[in-house]
Amino acid sequence: MPEIDRELRELLVSVSVLLVGFWIALKLTSGLVWDWNGWSVIEPQSYPICEENRFLQFTCSTAWIGMIETIKIAILATFFGMILSLPMGLLSSRNLFPQYVTYPSRTIVSACRSLPSIIWAIIFVILVGLGPIAGIMAMTIYTVGYLGKMQYEAIEGMNNAPLEAANAMGLTKAEISLGVIIPETANHLIAQAIFMFEYNVRSGTVIGIVGAGGIGYYINLYLKFLQYDEVGAYLLIIFLVVMLIDLMSIYLRSFFTDDSDNTKPTWSGVLLPSRINVEKPLE
Amino acid sequence: MINLGLPKSQKRYHTRKYVPTVVEIRNLEVGFHNSTLLFIENLQVKPGEVLAITGPSGIGKTSLLKTIAGLLKPVSGTVQVCGATIPQRPERGSIGYIPQKLGLVRHSSVWSNVMLGSRAGNSRATSREHAYSAIEAMGLIEKKNEPIKRLSGGQQRRVATARTLAQRPQLILADEFLSELDEETSERVVNSVLNYVRSSDVAMILVEHDVSRAREISDRLLVIDDGRLNPFITDTSIMEV
Repeated sequence: MPEIDRELRELLVSVSVLLVGFWIALKLTSGLVWDWNGWSVIEPQSYPICEENRFLQFTCSTAWIGMIETIKIAILATFFGMILSLPMGLLSSRNLFPQYVTYPSRTIVSACRSLPSIIWAIIFVILVGLGPIAGIMAMTIYTVGYLGKMQYEAIEGMNNAPLEAANAMGLTKAEISLGVIIPETANHLIAQAIFMFEYNVRSGTVIGIVGAGGIGYYINLYLKFLQYDEVGAYLLIIFLVVMLIDLMSIYLRSFFTDDSDNTKPTWSGVLLPSRINVEKPLE
Repeated sequence: MINLGLPKSQKRYHTRKYVPTVVEIRNLEVGFHNSTLLFIENLQVKPGEVLAITGPSGIGKTSLLKTIAGLLKPVSGTVQVCGATIPQRPERGSIGYIPQKLGLVRHSSVWSNVMLGSRAGNSRATSREHAYSAIEAMGLIEKKNEPIKRLSGGQQRRVATARTLAQRPQLILADEFLSELDEETSERVVNSVLNYVRSSDVAMILVEHDVSRAREISDRLLVIDDGRLNPFITDTSIMEV
């Protein structure tokens, strides 16, 4: 049997625990102990007719369709946001550019961050109409603001010696950015992008409420019809998905810490508050 | 000894403008904002000369190197480096700087780090060749693709030296570049650097704590001795030994 490293094993155990826990809760509340109406959201919609097999019927449900759309919006928004925020982060770094460059750049980054993503979503729904495109644009703008700030702080916090050596050599700003700053802060940048994806999934559930796509659209729909059981079921599903993404994100981020050889999270660290979670002694 | 030099016709250095004095300092006050650490009335470094600076810590040796490298604004006075008066920049790749903390990109490989220097000082066509010969001179060929963070302190120091040698600068500024090196490696590094300095008529200013070692390497040794308790007082003297 191939050897799986400790962190991956713990990730698999924690994901399995979550999924089994959810499945047990689902069975108990679907007639075994209590017949709850909420789970109708994971049943296939009556139209269009679901052509999947018996085990994949849930993929035709509104909860699945909405959640997948939310995740897709988050992936695209993080991707476009990362592409746009990296130049903004570099231009905002005071250890790289003079004030007459960093001030305007920081102002743009702050402006993107000053409005929450739901307000951006309202603006883009007005501009481009209802649907996930508005959601992607809204969250991209917010990602630029949030990620841009984290990036310039990471760049400003980096060790000054490589920059000094590069400046003394006479390298251009583009060469310094590509050859020194991005490789030196790559771990931070990747970890921040993963964190941002996790954040975007969470905030992506909200923007649907204003019509910008994703699971929020269905939550809003059921709220209007006062069907709170279904709303509760959506919230439970969001909680489950966010927990799963959290676990994976923490696991992925552990590969991009400076001393990735010895810093990996434990699954108990993910699930328990830090005070309760006592670190294991070194073996 | 490994010969770093390429045939003279191929040397990047020889395509640069010849300057009779690589570094020329007049009435320079080194410090931060308006507080002066060090005062130098007159100092010149000629091509092919190795100047070592020594003195107690905190007196401003590193700040002096940074001022010459154009990284620190002088409080007053003039500094001319490779024909350019600071804050004007000399020609790209003219200054090779080895900071005390080395200034390597920790997550990049040895090759990428050395290529950074090589690209700064050479044409695209010759940069790979110069990077390779510098890594070879430092005995790091086997570690070429290793990331810096996996190397020992001494190996990292050799990479920083290789980066500067690959750059083929007109002036080398080295801040304690021999610390953490064992005797054998230190000798190898010194020989390679001095060989390059002598063969290419390059000037070198190094800061070295170990006076006997500094005396051994250099042509001129400058001892900075303020003779006062407060090192921030002006008119700190430079004595020539």
